[in-house]
Amino acid sequence: MTAVLEVTGVTVTFGGVTALDDVSFVVHPGELLGLIGPNGAGKTTMLKVVTGIVVPQAGTVRLANADLAGLPTHARMRRGLGLAQQLVRTFDNVSTIENVMLAAGRQRTASPWAALFQVNRSVERRIALELLERVGIADAAEQRPDHLPLGYRKRLQVARALALDPALLLLDEPLAGLNHVEAAALADVVRGIADDGRTVVLIEHNLGEVLRITDRLVVLDSGRKIGDGEPGAVIRDPVVHAAYIGEGEAA
Amino acid sequence: MIGAYEISLLTTIGIAVTFALSLNLVTGFCGQISLGHAAFLGTGAYVAAMSVVAGAPFAVGLIAGGLVAAAVGAVVGLASLRVRHDFLAITTMGVGFLFVGFTRQQDWLGGEMGIAGIPEAPFGKVGLMVVALGVAAATAAFSVYLKRTWMGFAFDAIAADEDTARTVAIDVSRYKLAAFALGTGIAGLAGGLYAFNIRFIAPDSFGFVESVTVLAMVVIGGIGSVLWVTVAAAALAVLPQWFQAVDDYKLLLYGVLLFTVMRLSPGGLAGLVARLVRGVRQ
Amino acid sequence: MFLVELFVQGLIQGSVYALIAVGLTLVYGLLRILHVAHAGLFTLGGYAGVLVTNATGSVAVALVFAALSVGAVGMAVYRFCYEPILRRPPYVALIASIGLFIAMEELFRIVFGPFGLTYDIVPLQGSVVIGGMYLRSAELVTMALAAVLIGGLGLLAGRTRIGLAWRATVSVPEMAESFGIDIVKVRYLNFFIGSALAGVAGVMVSVLNNLVEPTMGSVASYKALAIIVLGGLGNVRGTLVAALTLGVIEAYGTIYLAGFLDRDAIAFAVLIVILMVRPQGLFGRSA
Repeated sequence: MTAVLEVTGVTVTFGGVTALDDVSFVVHPGELLGLIGPNGAGKTTMLKVVTGIVVPQAGTVRLANADLAGLPTHARMRRGLGLAQQLVRTFDNVSTIENVMLAAGRQRTASPWAALFQVNRSVERRIALELLERVGIADAAEQRPDHLPLGYRKRLQVARALALDPALLLLDEPLAGLNHVEAAALADVVRGIADDGRTVVLIEHNLGEVLRITDRLVVLDSGRKIGDGEPGAVIRDPVVHAAYIGEGEAA
Repeated sequence: MIGAYEISLLTTIGIAVTFALSLNLVTGFCGQISLGHAAFLGTGAYVAAMSVVAGAPFAVGLIAGGLVAAAVGAVVGLASLRVRHDFLAITTMGVGFLFVGFTRQQDWLGGEMGIAGIPEAPFGKVGLMVVALGVAAATAAFSVYLKRTWMGFAFDAIAADEDTARTVAIDVSRYKLAAFALGTGIAGLAGGLYAFNIRFIAPDSFGFVESVTVLAMVVIGGIGSVLWVTVAAAALAVLPQWFQAVDDYKLLLYGVLLFTVMRLSPGGLAGLVARLVRGVRQ
Repeated sequence: MFLVELFVQGLIQGSVYALIAVGLTLVYGLLRILHVAHAGLFTLGGYAGVLVTNATGSVAVALVFAALSVGAVGMAVYRFCYEPILRRPPYVALIASIGLFIAMEELFRIVFGPFGLTYDIVPLQGSVVIGGMYLRSAELVTMALAAVLIGGLGLLAGRTRIGLAWRATVSVPEMAESFGIDIVKVRYLNFFIGSALAGVAGVMVSVLNNLVEPTMGSVASYKALAIIVLGGLGNVRGTLVAALTLGVIEAYGTIYLAGFLDRDAIAFAVLIVILMVRPQGLFGRSA
């Protein structure tokens, strides 16, 4: 079985500081992989490498066996990535459902000049409504996203990323800022998305929810991979344990 | 029967509306501020005037003006891909200055004196008025259509948040180029009409003041609103002709209006009307 | 020799640019606003220079008056124009600033007339010969003032408590606030100093040209904007280098590009070429 995502030997340095040091991991089809680590471990940098915002000094990123090197962000999204950013960033000049429709219409927006001759939005509207129902915010479909509470906006981002019908869904701290009831509910949604057969990478600080829903964990610390495997076993690993205890003392 | 004065007034309105809607396309729809839009009006005017003086038919001059302006606009668009936000505003301002500074020094373009004696349109003043109003109506119709297309939809995303637009697989750079090419091309068309209407052009007709004037039309109408930008452009084109006092203090008025609108109602007339309507309903 | 003279003329012009651009880049660094109306304050300084010198006979008094009054007007601009719209998207402040600038220019025209004012007796008209070059006193004073004032500003920012607070606020506003720095005070100080420098530049330009006219700020404003972009927005040192460099390039360009480009268009030709190569400006940090 070929991997959906294959990260090999990725190294990133910023002005002498090593953010990622020879990190490799794979994501298998259909799995929900948790990418965790203390603050400053390099999780966000890894995400930026995958989405093409940061160019690594060494290493490759392959999506479904195709090298992503040199591709800009939008082209990677077109090739099968979907991203829900950590900071909520919605298009506040259009409605909630239109946010999702924009992603669902990626075929129509592929070329500006072709897009000039496309008017029909009904297919995308139907898909978007289904996705809003899937994440549980269909009641807010016609509202402006900036008027919605954070929990809704977080879910909107997940729906918008899903609308790209991605081979790999990247979720960057979707639970951050939510209370534990909201967090558990959204975690259930994420688990459900994976159960539908979608491959998901979840970056998250909320360890309780991560342990509850993920199939496998990859742990980063100070730019190095220090753990990779079944969640329960990885978290009991003394090295991983020490990394988190260390953070606990520092904090 | 309408008199020569009304004909000239309506022609001026048609040109102003076309010009304002062309900026609205770039700034209102795609969110890219341009402070040098008059340079493209000027490019169209010079190309059209030179073509007609050289003996080309008027329609050819008009279309050539639009096409050359669009080409120049695409080049400026390329600059906008390299720079963002605040940098872009200054770059476009620079393009405006470059245009004036360049044409002033070109003897073959008439230098400081510009081009006088542009021949009268064969279809007469009334014909020119009909063409100007027709182009304005077509531009308005095109704007409304564009807003409904997937191109307009993608512009919405880019205007709201470029980085996030990329995450929904939108090729932001190509869309921005398209916006610049369309907006500057239409501005060039307006420029050709301007040259045929006034029959005299000089570098200073396309300076910073003109760029600010057209920005004022868009901002006062409400950035992005086709209807209200049209209303504001027509009003700002007509008021100085109706009231001498407005003409004398035109720039003061534009300045104060730009400031006041941004301070009190950044959505312009469109935003104000929307708020009033909401207020009445409640 | 001719080349050296052009170079010195370039430095003089560059000093004027520097005095104007420093305030502009400081405002950008602090508030992320392109303060177009800054050039209106520069013109205001020019009027203050002519009016006060003609009334008192002393250009020194005029300089002090211009610095203080324009500085105060700058603070008022912040308080009444920018503070209420800081939370809006950036284009709001930019367009408001353009409106304010245009309105200021028109007010100068209405109040002082369209043809400008001149000095009854033009001050600083002596000249000295340095290395075989004639330099007017006014030109020397311009360079000296730029060096002293901007140098003093550097000391203030580098050596004093308020300077430290200022720099901290520019680099990380959120953190500065949590350290108990009074951000509002820093902003007023910033507008006062930046505007005062522009006011001084206005006086010197009015002396150099023996003329102050309503549109004096137009070209200056666009050039100062170009300069702060080249210097890397918000970067004072880069702005100084860019100002002097542009002054020198223009001095040569006026001779060697004549017949192709206007002097005033050179700045933007340089700007656009450089931005195409280095989008973050000459001295900006890459994103």
